[in-house]
Amino acid sequence: MFGILDISTSGMMAQRTRLTAISANIANRNSSEANGEPFRARQVFFQPGSPGAGSPEGRALGVHVASVELDQSPFNLRYDPGDPRALKSGAYQGYVQESNVNMVVEQVNMMQAARAYEANAAAAEATRSMVNQALRLLG
Amino acid sequence: MISDLGNSGSMPVLEQMVRFTAQRQKLIAHNIANMDTPDFRQVDASPASFQSQLRRAVVERRSGGGWSAGSVPLPLRDTKEVRFDTHGDMTLRPGSPSGNVLYHDRNNRDLEGLMQDLAENGMAFRLATDLLQRENNLLRTAISQRV
Repeated sequence: MFGILDISTSGMMAQRTRLTAISANIANRNSSEANGEPFRARQVFFQPGSPGAGSPEGRALGVHVASVELDQSPFNLRYDPGDPRALKSGAYQGYVQESNVNMVVEQVNMMQAARAYEANAAAAEATRSMVNQALRLLG
Repeated sequence: MISDLGNSGSMPVLEQMVRFTAQRQKLIAHNIANMDTPDFRQVDASPASFQSQLRRAVVERRSGGGWSAGSVPLPLRDTKEVRFDTHGDMTLRPGSPSGNVLYHDRNNRDLEGLMQDLAENGMAFRLATDLLQRENNLLRTAISQRV
């Protein structure tokens, strides 16, 4: 009975990690990476299962963040030949590379992560009331 | 004699109902936690088939002269989804139901269906535990020889 709360908690933690990554993307829209490139959006990848659980059955249920990867989609381009960062040669001469964070996509992902967090919280609440009800069997 | 007390009347049926709904709650929570995981298919154990399994066991017990022969344990059989071991513990082997819309991340989530399952499962659990509590109180009254 008590392992069920672990499953809902793992769901909430995974969605919170995703929300952290989304907030970092939105905040770093105008930052640069350590190697001088513009900021690449971070993407969070989920997988079913909870590796930290005690029993093999517990490890098979729930969800966890498998990895946080850099988004490999191409950078956005802005035409500004006066900018010192503008490309000097190639097909995009005079364009400045900007971060590949897409604000609309990040906002939609944020709404989806919040909705999933609420769904997991509702499941945890339902489980909690079931456990309370079962405890009343004793008295 | 103690096991006969536990097998009398509707107690074994209610006990199996509590077990099944508790295990199914785990599956529903797993589906909700994996709502946004790509390549995930929802898992479920059908309560309708479990209900018919219970009904079949009750009819079988009744037809075997259960009332006149004392308390007979409920004859429960393994099915594809529900397995009983020697101690009577239940394990679920859930299947993946089809028929949900497949989204672009190859996940066939159905949030409304999950919320309904959550509510109905909780209600079934509460019903079974309430009735079990009443049976327990009846037993306690009988044992204490007070009316």
